[in-house]
Formats: sequence, structure tokens, C-alpha cells
Amino acid sequence: MTVTHPAGVEEVVLGGGRSPAPPGRPPATGVVARLTRPLPALLLVGLLAAGWQLMAHTSGSALIPGLGAVARNLADITTSGALAENVRVTLTRVVLGFAAAFVVSVAAGIAMGRSEWLRRFLEPAVLIGLATPGLVKALLCVIWFGVSLLNPVLTVALAAAPALTINVAQGVRSVDPALSEMAHVYRFDALTRLRYVWLPAIVPDLFTGARLGIAMAWKVIVLVEIFGLADGVGYQLNLEFSQHNVAGVLAWTVAFALVMAAIEYGLLQTLERRAVRWRRVALR
Amino acid sequence: MSVRISLDGVDKAFTSRRTGERQQIFRDFSLTLAPDELVAVVGGSGTGKTTLMHLIAGLERPDAGTVSTGGGRPRLGMVFQQPRLLDWTSVETNVRLAATAAGVDPAEVAPILDAVGLTDYARSYPSVLSGGQRQRVAVARAFVVRPEVLLLDEPFSALDELTARRLRLLLQQLWLRTPRTGLLVTHNALEAAFLADRVVVLGGRPAEVVGEYRIDRPRPRSPEDPDLFDVHRRIVAALT
Ligand SMILES: Nc1ncnc2c1ncn2[C@@H]1O[C@H](COP(=O)(O)OP(=O)(O)OP(=O)(O)O)[C@@H](O)[C@H]1O
Ligand SMILES: [Mg+2]
Repeated sequence: MTVTHPAGVEEVVLGGGRSPAPPGRPPATGVVARLTRPLPALLLVGLLAAGWQLMAHTSGSALIPGLGAVARNLADITTSGALAENVRVTLTRVVLGFAAAFVVSVAAGIAMGRSEWLRRFLEPAVLIGLATPGLVKALLCVIWFGVSLLNPVLTVALAAAPALTINVAQGVRSVDPALSEMAHVYRFDALTRLRYVWLPAIVPDLFTGARLGIAMAWKVIVLVEIFGLADGVGYQLNLEFSQHNVAGVLAWTVAFALVMAAIEYGLLQTLERRAVRWRRVALR
Repeated sequence: MSVRISLDGVDKAFTSRRTGERQQIFRDFSLTLAPDELVAVVGGSGTGKTTLMHLIAGLERPDAGTVSTGGGRPRLGMVFQQPRLLDWTSVETNVRLAATAAGVDPAEVAPILDAVGLTDYARSYPSVLSGGQRQRVAVARAFVVRPEVLLLDEPFSALDELTARRLRLLLQQLWLRTPRTGLLVTHNALEAAFLADRVVVLGGRPAEVVGEYRIDRPRPRSPEDPDLFDVHRRIVAALT
């Protein structure tokens, strides 16, 4: 499976203050570039919101509430503390599940990348994991593990692990054998090899896998919370749904999307930029 | 500790991944490097010089015969034909990691970088360096570990003549201070004559020793020593 790197990587390589601008593009200066970079995304959000408002206005249906109603709901859940509490609960589950998936996937991915036999042995499990719908994983975990913390954590882990594993394995296969030979000749210990030979080579694939894994994790956590749990963003979504409060459903969705965006832009992209800093310098 | 290296009745073949054809690089090949002897190997492209070096380093196994490096696993300093640097960490760290792994005080990194003329680049990523500068990092890394065995695969061929000359003198200095067992692959017959105790000319397929010259000049030698030119002429004659 080939996974192309998302736009973030290119941005890291080509963007940034000190690297030369590619031909045909005006040179971007640091602060201005930083401020104008999110403009296209914001423009899209604005257009969508305007379109929605227009639709709500013309239809007049209670099923398409206006932006005002959504904003009021958002304000309500924010001031009541429900938003913070439920996001905290859901995030904890995602973080624990993703951490478990990360540990297992890095180990399994390295094993699969190094040994042809292990790759053949584990690959079917990974492919089945990838192909199984998140809904099925969520249902089975609810049935087997009920309302314990184990249920959501395990579901998230099951959802995130296959994509992570496949990408780590691919990254390990891309480790330059010439560098492994060098490490052997100079007798690098296992830790030095991991830190200086392996990790840097698998970092780009690791981030691709982490992105896919986190995306999967969001999807299933909401399902598990709808089916089997009594709190969390998914549970609240279901609650609003059962009360036919469309504005409430939208308010929770918007809040959740904002949290996801914060994690993608604030955390993942910052980490990735640090990890591949050397590439940017290479282009100077 | 002085190390004797010997290859005894070594067979080595590769199967070309493209054509599926089997190439016998060595058949019943034997060569001994005496303790503290610096042997230069010259020979045409594709004869098997790098393969010979990888056999000694333990990176390739012989199909038959034995490769011995004095019983144990001596400390190796190796300059590969390509620099093989860690692009994601600084020049200084590249050299320091090898030093630390060999139990050498990291304080010795700076003087070595100075000797190869890279002090100003110690904190740079290798990818900003030129090909010759990268090769010098590899040379520094090989020298810093206080190697018992030094394996150099065309270490100076990517360098400008002035830098190459400086590094040849540095290599000679190293042998003057602490002799060790070494193998130097080079296409430069004069370099071979200047540096080595013995020059071995490899040729043919399977590769054989087609010429061998002992150079009994005491060190330090001068690169302008007329006797070396004489050896140089004979090596070139054996090559053609
Ligand atoms: N890993 C390998 N797989 C297949 N063939 C190989 C491998 N390594 C070397 N060979 C082949 O063995 C032969 C000798 O290669 P080697 O690298 O030892 O030559 P060399 O004398 O170092 O040449 P050069 O002077 O060009 O560096 C070549 O024909 C090469 O194609
Ligand atoms: Mg070679």
C-alpha cells in the first residue's frame, strides 16, 4: 500500500522563511506568510457557512436550523461545562487507545519491515483490520467489553493500529541498508541505531500512519459512545439526536471538528516540522 | 593490538539481479595482510576491490574458504566508497557517534574535524556539504575510532588535489604515530606507492593478484620521492 504524504510535508519542505521560493512563486516573507497561509481554509469555511445560512433561510425547515441556533447551542454547552467535560472524556479514550495502538504498531511494523516471514504472518491480520468497518469493531467491543474503560480504548486501538502498522513497516523497509552496514561496522548499540538510523527514516511514514490512525480513531470513538457508553461527545450527539435537536447535533459536531483541527494543526504538524527540520536545511 | 588479516581459498559469487547471470568474483583467492601493514589494492573497475573490503569487514560472507581477522572482531575504521552519513544529524554528531560507540573520548572529535578542515561545518547537516566535504566527514569518522584495522575504499578520489594531498599526509602521520593493519583501495597508482607498504594489483574475472610490489621506503615519505615514480610506472604497466 502506498500512501502519499499529505500536503503538510510539502509545506515543510518548500515553505518556511529561509528556504528559496520555488520558481514562479513570489518569495514569501516569514510573518506575512504565516498570517496569510490559513486564508484559503478560512475562506472555504466562510463560504460553507454562508451557503448553509442561505439554505436554512430559504427552506424554513426545523431540520435545517440557522447558524444562530447552532451558535446558541454551542454557547449553552460551553457555559454549562458539558462541552469541556465530554471532550475531555472522549479525548482521554482516544489518547489511551492511540497510545496502545502506537506501541503495538511500532513493534509490529518494525518486525514486519525486517522479517519477510513475519510480514507474511502478520499481513493478513493487518489487512483484515483495515477492511473491517469501524462500526463492526465498535459493535463487537461494546458486546464483549461493555461499559468499562477497556471498551473504547480497545476500539480506538483496533481502529488506529492497522494503518499505523502498515506505514511503520513501509518506513522500516525504506531504511537504507548502506546505513545499517555503517552502523554495524562502527558497532552502534541498539539504542543508537533506533534513534539515529531507524526513527529518522521512518518518521515520514510514521506521521502518515498517525494521521490515518487518528482519523479512524475519531470515527469509531463516536460510534462506541453512541452504542455503549453514558458520556463523551458521541453520547451527547446521540442524546441531541433522540431529542430531535438538529442544532444541538450540529453544535457538538462543530465543537468536535474544531478540537480535531487543533490537534492536526497544533500538534501533529508542529511535531512533524521539528522531525523533518533537516530536510528544509538541505534545500538551502 | 596488531591484527593479521588473512583470506584463505575464498570463493565469492554474485548473481546479477537483472540478468540472473552468476558472476564468480573470487575463486580460491588468498591474501594476507601482515600486522601493521598497509596494503594498497589497485585494479580495474568491477574487479572486486570493494567486495574484498566487505569480506574483511564481515559485510559479505565468503561462499567457501575463510576470512580471518586475528580471531576476534577488531575495531574497524572504514571509509566506504560512498560517504554513508546520517543526513539528519550534524557533522559533529556523525563523527561523535562512532567515537562513543568505540569508547573514544568525544573530546577527540574536534581535533579530527580540524585535521580534515571541517571545523566550520561541525554543526551543519551533511546534506549542505559538497561531495568532497562529505567524504572528509567519513574519513574523520574512520580515524576517530582509533581503529585497529583501517579499510579505505577510494577515500580521496572525490577530493580536490590539495585536500587529497593533505589527507594523504594525515594518513601517513597516523601510521607514523600508531601503525595498524590497513587496506587502501585506490585508482591512483602514485597514491598507492606513496602510502602503502605493499601494492597489490587485482585483475581478471575471477579476480587474481596480477602484480605485487613491496615498497620498502621508510616513513615519512615525500610525495615527490623519485623512487616512488619508478614503482608507479611499474604498477601502471601491470594494470595495462
Ligand atoms: N551485492 C551485489 N550483488 C550483485 N552483484 C554485486 C554485488 N556487489 C558487487 N557485485 C558485482 O561484483 C563485481 C565486483 O564489484 P566491486 O564493487 O567489488 O568492484 P570494484 O572493484 O570495487 O569496482 P569499482 O572500482 O568500480 O568500485 C561487479 O561486477 C559488481 O556488479
Ligand atoms: Mg569499489
